[in-house]
Amino acid sequence: MKRRTFLKTAGASGTAALLAGCTGTSGETTTAESGGGAETTTTQGTTVDGGDQTLSVGTYASFVDAPSTSPGVWLKDEFESEFDATLEWQTPDAGVNHYIERSLRGVESGADLYVGLDAQMLVRIDDKLDEALFTPAEGLSRLGDVNEELEFDPQGRAIPYDTGYISLVYDETQGEDGPFTAPETFDGLLESEYAGALLAQNPTSSATGQAFLLHTIDAKGEDGYLDYWAQLKENDVRVLGNWADSYTAYSNGEAPMVVSYSTDQVYANQSGEDLAKHQIRFLNDQGYANPEGMAAFADATEPDLATEFMDFVLRPEVQAEIAVRNVQFPATTNAELPEDFAQYAHEPPEAVTFAYDRLKDNLSDWTDAWAQEFASK
Amino acid sequence: MDTLTDATRTPVRWVTRALEQRLLSLVAVVTAVVLFVLFYYPVATVFADAVVDDGAFTLEPLTEILTSEFYLVDIIWFTAKQAFYSTLASLALGLPAAWLFARFEFPGRETLRSLTILPFVMPSIMVAIGFVATFGRNGTLNRALTAVGLPPVELLFTLEAIIIAHAFYNAPLVARVVTAAWESVDARAVETARALGANPRRAFRDVVLPQLLPSVGIGATLTFIFTFASFPIVLALGGFQLATIEVFVFAKVRDLAYAEAASLAVIETVISLTLTAAYLSYEGRQRAAGGAANPLPRQSVVPTTWSPKSALQTVGIAAYTVVVGLVFIVPIASMILASVTGADGGLTLEHYAFLAERQATGATYQVKPLPAIWNSLLFAAGTLLVAVPMGVTMAILTTRRYRGRTLIDALAMAPFAVSGIVVGLGLLRGLVFGVDVFGTRIRVTGALAIVAAHAVSAYPFVTRNVAPLFSRLDDRLVESARSLGATRTRALFDVELPLVWTGVVAGAAFAVAISIGEFDSTIILAEGAGRYTMPVAVERLLGRRLGPATAMGCVLLLVTSVSFFVVDRFGGRWGEL
Repeated sequence: MKRRTFLKTAGASGTAALLAGCTGTSGETTTAESGGGAETTTTQGTTVDGGDQTLSVGTYASFVDAPSTSPGVWLKDEFESEFDATLEWQTPDAGVNHYIERSLRGVESGADLYVGLDAQMLVRIDDKLDEALFTPAEGLSRLGDVNEELEFDPQGRAIPYDTGYISLVYDETQGEDGPFTAPETFDGLLESEYAGALLAQNPTSSATGQAFLLHTIDAKGEDGYLDYWAQLKENDVRVLGNWADSYTAYSNGEAPMVVSYSTDQVYANQSGEDLAKHQIRFLNDQGYANPEGMAAFADATEPDLATEFMDFVLRPEVQAEIAVRNVQFPATTNAELPEDFAQYAHEPPEAVTFAYDRLKDNLSDWTDAWAQEFASK
Repeated sequence: MDTLTDATRTPVRWVTRALEQRLLSLVAVVTAVVLFVLFYYPVATVFADAVVDDGAFTLEPLTEILTSEFYLVDIIWFTAKQAFYSTLASLALGLPAAWLFARFEFPGRETLRSLTILPFVMPSIMVAIGFVATFGRNGTLNRALTAVGLPPVELLFTLEAIIIAHAFYNAPLVARVVTAAWESVDARAVETARALGANPRRAFRDVVLPQLLPSVGIGATLTFIFTFASFPIVLALGGFQLATIEVFVFAKVRDLAYAEAASLAVIETVISLTLTAAYLSYEGRQRAAGGAANPLPRQSVVPTTWSPKSALQTVGIAAYTVVVGLVFIVPIASMILASVTGADGGLTLEHYAFLAERQATGATYQVKPLPAIWNSLLFAAGTLLVAVPMGVTMAILTTRRYRGRTLIDALAMAPFAVSGIVVGLGLLRGLVFGVDVFGTRIRVTGALAIVAAHAVSAYPFVTRNVAPLFSRLDDRLVESARSLGATRTRALFDVELPLVWTGVVAGAAFAVAISIGEFDSTIILAEGAGRYTMPVAVERLLGRRLGPATAMGCVLLLVTSVSFFVVDRFGGRWGEL
């Protein structure tokens, strides 16, 4: 009898919840927006309320939510304390792809600005979209402070705010007799003593992996880089999924070298780690520069506020703070960095990078050819 | 007869009765609608990219892949090969566990059994961390080997590493499904066979084995499908040298090369679905009569009388325990250890302190531990309530005989066979951004959408745990109940459900596990609006140092262990009432 009562209630409540779930889905969480063309009114993102404006900024998650340090919280507080506005962070999981996707589906971007673009992303955007996702930056008073070498968008949409140099990080303590030292050139990586010694990342899905691949193309040429990678593979290089996968394996001592950033020691120093395990090597005395930029959406509802934010980010003191918190180099020439940052963040003797136009015509061919050469053989 | 007339007289009872009569059809219709909105429509929008180019039908992207030696041999064939080996390993590791759980009594058996589902909710990055720490160059295994004077093994970044990690995920699945089936074997049938002169081995082969095979089949099929679509584990433990189809699907999606991504996903899905259909038609033919009221008695792991045979059995169990320890316990223990290890290698609680601090002072747009725990539990409870009725209804519908049943069955099982990346992308494009219906943009997001999406991926587990037991029920039981005046629904609740209850509980535990472990659609449907779950928090906390992510991983481990314990224990108790 008891069982019967229970089963009856359990069954009934299960069904009730299911029904509630269904009607609820259409009743509570569905928002109807007028679709189609010019009359579309935006119901997302910005609301103007008695002069207090809201600036919606899209970015990648770790810019606001890294467990170590991240510039997001500080930027929001500083910006809001000075401007009569609210800064709202958006961190879609797919990053900038989220906004490309929206544009492809005919949905407004819902944000004013994106922070965290690189040249490869711009190429992807321009490749996939006919309409402009971002608009050229106009009226910036501090544009002249930006290091010219870092400017990567010929159309002037993306303004660099920091840069990283992709380099090798190696662990001196892993040497068998005496300290381990990384080779000085790309050719050196092919020597037998470095067999199985390098962890890299998948260039088709990881930013550091892609930058390292581009660096090999710069060093070995378009005709030579596939051969070079075939030899690297013979020397047992390991290409893992992303930076986190490979850095975890590196930290566990799986291999003495990993493709990472030349700012690696900054954080290692802050957290009191053994710097012998965080040595930097610039192959061929070069580092691949991967500047990060910000750009205003073409359909931004607060374009003026977006411009003010970009100018704010380019201020010397803000540049220094972003550099320290994002563990990257500033993009402007006049930022004043704290001493220990300068001591532990290494800049390559020569920075290498592909210009936008070169990437635009070749990037997907290069990575596709690499993937077919390298995978599952 | 009196009750019938009574029922028609009182309105309340009339409604109850009408509802009872139509309940099955109602749940079936609701299931179909949910499936269409949250699964078939979104997935179709992605697959369309494979065959539609600028509004015109084309087979070019598909033929391009199917005529490419690279994709056929290097990628697709390799994917199938590693999935096959992974399935063998999962069976080898999972079947002995099912035997132990179903046939032996030992302290902590119930608890251990509840916990076998834990690997299912472990974020793959946590598993990768645990495996590197266990099987890596400086890992526990190598330190143990060196300590006893054996040469170290290089296991990481090989096919073997991938296979072991896949077994970590899927052997518990095999063990769970087979244990549920084994426990519902009627002891009287075995006794009858023995009374008729069969020796124990013969009785096992002729009576027990036929009742276990469908569940072994489902365990193997699921393992193959899951490992066929494997991606984070492959990259983290094998590297790009061992890339699977799914690795390429992900890369193409990230590059927004949808025609190629969709074509690869279509090929992947066709292979998985064909396999599912083949299995289902086999399962349909495996019908054996028998009830489930009298489970087989369990014996003690330590034999009461020692004989060469019982000694061998005990040694076997001991050896198996060592292997289980290495594959399951050491990786999890390594992860727990990582959560209390500081940068200098010493013990510390700083990572947990970080979580507490984040909870206290974190900004609204940062992930915090408590909302993650609360959301995970809320979504899991919702999923349980939605997926169990859906799954049981589908099990009833798919155990009836009619033409095209295998097709319906395979379509209902499709959520298994379609990769998470494709479902996530489809949800994003079809529902999160909205669909124009007669000039109105319909969007589906939020908590209820997440629960519905979790239920869609969870209900096939309920179905597959329950369906084999349903198909074994004696039709005459239901017929007698119906002839005595019971409605179809009443017959279900009073006669059938109690007999298949072990399967329902097993399915319910899976539903909870799927919901807690789900990542792809959660993060998309949540839209960052405070609806993140524990796995999302783990992923977000990953960075330059591992500590906070592993600490959050341990929180996930603790919360889910307690949940499964509750589901299994209370589920079991209710079943016995």
